[in-house]
Amino acid sequence: MVDKMIDLDGRIGPLPARAWGLILNFIGNALAVYGGIGFMQDGSRLPILIIGVAMTLVCLLVLAKPSK
Amino acid sequence: MSEQYPIAEKIPTEVLEAEVKQLEALKAKPPLFRLGGYLRMGGPGFMDSALTLGAGTMTAAMLSGAIFGYKTMWILWVSMGIGMFMMAAMARFTCRGGIPIIAAQKKYHGWIVGGLMTALIGNVAVAVIFNYGQVSLGTHLIESLTPLIGFEFPRQINWVLYMAVTSVIVLSYGRKGRRGIKFVESFMKVSIGIMLLCFGACLVLVGVNWSEFFRGIFIPWLPSGVEGLDLFIASSAAAIGVMDWVFFNYAGLARGWGKKHESLARFDIFIGLFLPFILVNYLVLSVFAGTLHQQGIHPETAPELAQALMPLLGHTWSQVLFYIGFLAIPITTTVGISLAGAIAIHEAFGWKPNVNSWRWRICVLLPQIGFLAVWYPRPVWLVIAIGAFLSLTNNIVGWSFYLLFNDKRVLGENKNRSYIWNLGILLQVTLINCIAIIYVFNRLGWWIK
Repeated sequence: MVDKMIDLDGRIGPLPARAWGLILNFIGNALAVYGGIGFMQDGSRLPILIIGVAMTLVCLLVLAKPSK
Repeated sequence: MSEQYPIAEKIPTEVLEAEVKQLEALKAKPPLFRLGGYLRMGGPGFMDSALTLGAGTMTAAMLSGAIFGYKTMWILWVSMGIGMFMMAAMARFTCRGGIPIIAAQKKYHGWIVGGLMTALIGNVAVAVIFNYGQVSLGTHLIESLTPLIGFEFPRQINWVLYMAVTSVIVLSYGRKGRRGIKFVESFMKVSIGIMLLCFGACLVLVGVNWSEFFRGIFIPWLPSGVEGLDLFIASSAAAIGVMDWVFFNYAGLARGWGKKHESLARFDIFIGLFLPFILVNYLVLSVFAGTLHQQGIHPETAPELAQALMPLLGHTWSQVLFYIGFLAIPITTTVGISLAGAIAIHEAFGWKPNVNSWRWRICVLLPQIGFLAVWYPRPVWLVIAIGAFLSLTNNIVGWSFYLLFNDKRVLGENKNRSYIWNLGILLQVTLINCIAIIYVFNRLGWWIK
């Protein structure tokens, strides 16, 4: 669905769409790690962990699509 | 970008054509015969595994075996397995169009990404700084080995031998065309064989708890909490990195590999890189799991670990074998990282590599400054600075390779068409991202203490 809406081969502003995807994935990874630390320490930050993991998964699944 | 890599220019066209004919003839042969032929013709993959199996990897394997027993063995094949996708992409860059990866990065992503992050930080700085560890370990091992065979050879003197042997080998690379490359590749193959034989003999002596061994390989286990997360991310991201990717690409280009070599390149990645890396690590880890782990002894450095193992090996010959196998590790890594560093300096500044020039010789011998490790530890501030640069830039290099692999301008019709291949590369990129994130979180004091 999402990958059909986004043209991964095109550009969005100064960067190719794939590069923006990599940046989003990085942000998702950071949220997942930050949330994971809190969750492991005292059970806090679960929503951040879930958002981070979900962002990471979506980015990976979308960015894995080969270019046309 | 499709012109031949300068080191390969000395290989006569007839030799390359004969190799292609040999490869085609091999395809019709039975599997065992084909295996032998590919083993003989492979090389860059073996060079990569010999480079990767260094002081750091071995210390990690010994420590894992001594502390956790067989339990963390699964991490090795998982992490190396994830790394195979990027290595296969490097084979594609090499064989389909003869693309030098750093030059492509400089062209499409700029000098900062190609010249600075990949070449100078990811390769040259790593070669110079990490060779300190190799020389330190190598000279320690010679010092410990020689009394077992009847004479003393302290590291304050034996560094000359270490430096001479490694210098002669690195200076041979590419000389007299194919022969020089073949010599270095054969040296790496033989050294890997020595590691397998020596560690294998020690393991036979120590014995294996087979049920624990197979549980360790197939049942994932991690220490609880943050220690487990740290161990998994560090091991996964460290198995193969920027230097391995880049070196495989250029070592293949130096062999003059083309489209018809891609199946050989993939075989070389699996048999030359994946298998030796896994097997040597398994052997070393198992030796320590069967000895120091049982005794509850956990020294921290490689020489201390090796020394603690000696009384448990018993016979003098087995101790000698262990030291010989172990010595092959820093020597081959010094050779590999020296070549990778020299190639990278040339690519960073757009110099044409000429193995007979003084510029090449100086570049390839630059890591030999590591001989200072005999008297001084690595300068801590430099290690911290390089570690920081590496942690923060390796993932961007991974991003760059993924983008190039999916860019029609670079590979044309040969660009990636596989969803799974991209997914594998992205998994590795995500792990390297986590290294950068954890590094920043550590600095900010957000990481669990």
